[in-house]
Amino acid sequence: MTRSLRFPAILLAAAFVASACGGGGGGTSPAASEPGASASGGASGGPATSGEAGTINVLSLWGGSEEEAFKKVLEDFTAKTGWGVNYEADRQTYSTTLQSRITGGNPPDIAIIPGIGFLRRFAKDGSLKKIADLGVDTAGLSSNYPEGFLAAGTVDGELYALPAKYNNKGTMWFRPDVYSDASVTTPKTWDEFKAALDKTVDKPGAMSLGAKDDWNLTDWFESIYIRQSGVDAYDKLFSAEGDWADPSVQKTVDTMLEVINDKYVVGGVEAAVGRAWTDAIAQVFKPEPEAGTFYEGGFVGGIATTQTNKDLKIGETIDWYPFPTIDNTEDVTTFGGDVVGALTDSEGAKAFMTYVVTPEANTVWASTGAIVSPNKGVATDSYPNELVVREADSLKNAAQIRYDGSDLLPAGIQGEQMGQLLQRAIAGDTVDWADFQTRVKAAWDNE
Amino acid sequence: MAVVAPGGVDPSGLPTATPVPAASPATKIAGRRWDAATLLFLGPPAILLAVFLIYPTIYTIFLSFNRGRRGEFTEWVGLQHYIGLLNDKAFINVSTFPPSGAIWNNVLWAIFYTSLVIFLGLIVAVLASRVRYESIIKAVVFLPMAIAATALAIIWNFVYAPDPNIGLLNAILDPFTDRGISWLGNPGLVNAALIAAGIWGSVGFATVILSAALKSIPTEVLEAARTDGANERQIFFRIILPMVSLPISVLAVTLLVNVIKLFDLIYVLTNGGPGVSSRVIAFTMYYESIPGGQFGRGAAITVVMLILLLPIMAYNIRRFRSSRVV
Repeated sequence: MTRSLRFPAILLAAAFVASACGGGGGGTSPAASEPGASASGGASGGPATSGEAGTINVLSLWGGSEEEAFKKVLEDFTAKTGWGVNYEADRQTYSTTLQSRITGGNPPDIAIIPGIGFLRRFAKDGSLKKIADLGVDTAGLSSNYPEGFLAAGTVDGELYALPAKYNNKGTMWFRPDVYSDASVTTPKTWDEFKAALDKTVDKPGAMSLGAKDDWNLTDWFESIYIRQSGVDAYDKLFSAEGDWADPSVQKTVDTMLEVINDKYVVGGVEAAVGRAWTDAIAQVFKPEPEAGTFYEGGFVGGIATTQTNKDLKIGETIDWYPFPTIDNTEDVTTFGGDVVGALTDSEGAKAFMTYVVTPEANTVWASTGAIVSPNKGVATDSYPNELVVREADSLKNAAQIRYDGSDLLPAGIQGEQMGQLLQRAIAGDTVDWADFQTRVKAAWDNE
Repeated sequence: MAVVAPGGVDPSGLPTATPVPAASPATKIAGRRWDAATLLFLGPPAILLAVFLIYPTIYTIFLSFNRGRRGEFTEWVGLQHYIGLLNDKAFINVSTFPPSGAIWNNVLWAIFYTSLVIFLGLIVAVLASRVRYESIIKAVVFLPMAIAATALAIIWNFVYAPDPNIGLLNAILDPFTDRGISWLGNPGLVNAALIAAGIWGSVGFATVILSAALKSIPTEVLEAARTDGANERQIFFRIILPMVSLPISVLAVTLLVNVIKLFDLIYVLTNGGPGVSSRVIAFTMYYESIPGGQFGRGAAITVVMLILLLPIMAYNIRRFRSSRVV
């Protein structure tokens, strides 16, 4: 055996090298969760900064440019308060890590919480501390944050988490060069949008879609629903009183299918269901585009310009316009984002939560260009590029903004989730929304 | 040098540090005595097993009857999780034909993955044993075993990508198809695609085991058969196959256990999708427990897995007792 084992050993070493290279690709990061900006995998720990007051543990799911930006904030925190920070980041298995540390009785002091369903679960579990108990001036918060953002961190009337960063989800990304070649002006209404897709169908293609990451579909659904049925219906649908059997749900799916179909989606819908969303971004923003339009939140800009194609020029090869209006012409949009909460009430955790809501902290953060800050005290000129400035403005000026609905749904829906149902819906299946309603209701009741 | 230390050795020849009762036949089990040394050797593994295996198993079984917030006992719910699972179309759905759901997908895996891995492994082992560069062939076939399952999944992600510019298979098929085939985006294809990737990763293992088994067949037997005028086909079916049937059954058990534990490939390649069409039991357990936060329900799924594994384990233990081959 010895002789024949030596050869496999060399191959084994080669395989590890190959797999290490494959893992870093990021482009097809398969189980990529809903992002802020980048898709760097795995866990990374930052060097602990020492502070004379003590050290706190901070757990986040941010990688890449978001992580760099957050570390600047942490450095500023240490400089201002004297507290050191032991920073840990885990992108791929964030929920597992956080949950097992809580269950194991070793929670981090501060955690970034992605998604409000997630927040509610930890708040109801009693794992999260109330903001009011952490010495944060809750009355003063409303002058620093718009109402919609604080509402996102509230569970059962109690504030448990503070808005950290957000992205507008009403951004339709496009190639200005493709649009001008096809003589398309940026559409404002749904009909104009369909006309624009029609004109770009073969020059070079209308729209790309990466529906393997099914949250791309829930974002489509939410953006259409809030513009079609209005804010009140949206609020109701994504609350415990929601009724998924309501005809408005199927109506939104039908509207989705007007553009998500084999005619407009490059490569066809079936291929799109097997495609990672980062690959879909590449289809539009690589040097030789296959399509002119891609819909997803504001974070697409960061990924496209820093990871897909560094030669993109704002206004020439990359830009965005607001998601077209449908029946409801009010200026509404959805947003998604991460909130920050405290899992211990240590002095360090209190110091951090007090610090993180200050305009100064948010300005440090915003100036990196990696995030959009919900803090009203951040001046628009703090942002380094025009795409982000416009994204921040669009939310500031919107008449009504609402949190990403699928993130509001309870975590424990049994069986097929909203995004998975939508995957089947775009593939041509008829979805039993009444059955989904039963399961959503059970999950709400059970929460 | 026949010096006997005072009180050192009793007449039975054992150290007297732990005076074993004279009526030693009663404490003899299969010719062994339960003395300090025995306890010292058996104790640590027994404690480890109790802490890391027996206690978690019992905890999980209890948890499956509990609401199980945070993975702790919060509220007893009886059989609610089990009833919920039976009614969960994503777990098992027998209302359509063919059935669907995680359990059914595991059945597909058990049938096709296990049989094809053994079949292909046997073919490679038999054919390779007849050529001079056998070790090179075996090394190449064994190579995927050296790749971590997640890395393997990422490799196959590139193979199955729907765009001909990225996906190997679609690049090959590009001249013949109008549009790339969405291997992982089509509910009808996704399980076959995943099983194919799994087979690629395991054939090497089967080859190595079966190849060793083939080597253990005494050449006298084969020569005797040839002398008696048996042709190669007869030798294979009448002699080789019966003589490697035990290694094959070992292999089958190992692969079946792998199937029931299967998680990483699904998680990385499809995350259970499209929809829920490629979920398997272990993936559902993860999905309900961690992202879903339903630890009680996750525990119930684990118990279902345990029940499915019990017969395989029982078979395994019985075989360990009955024979020492392999």
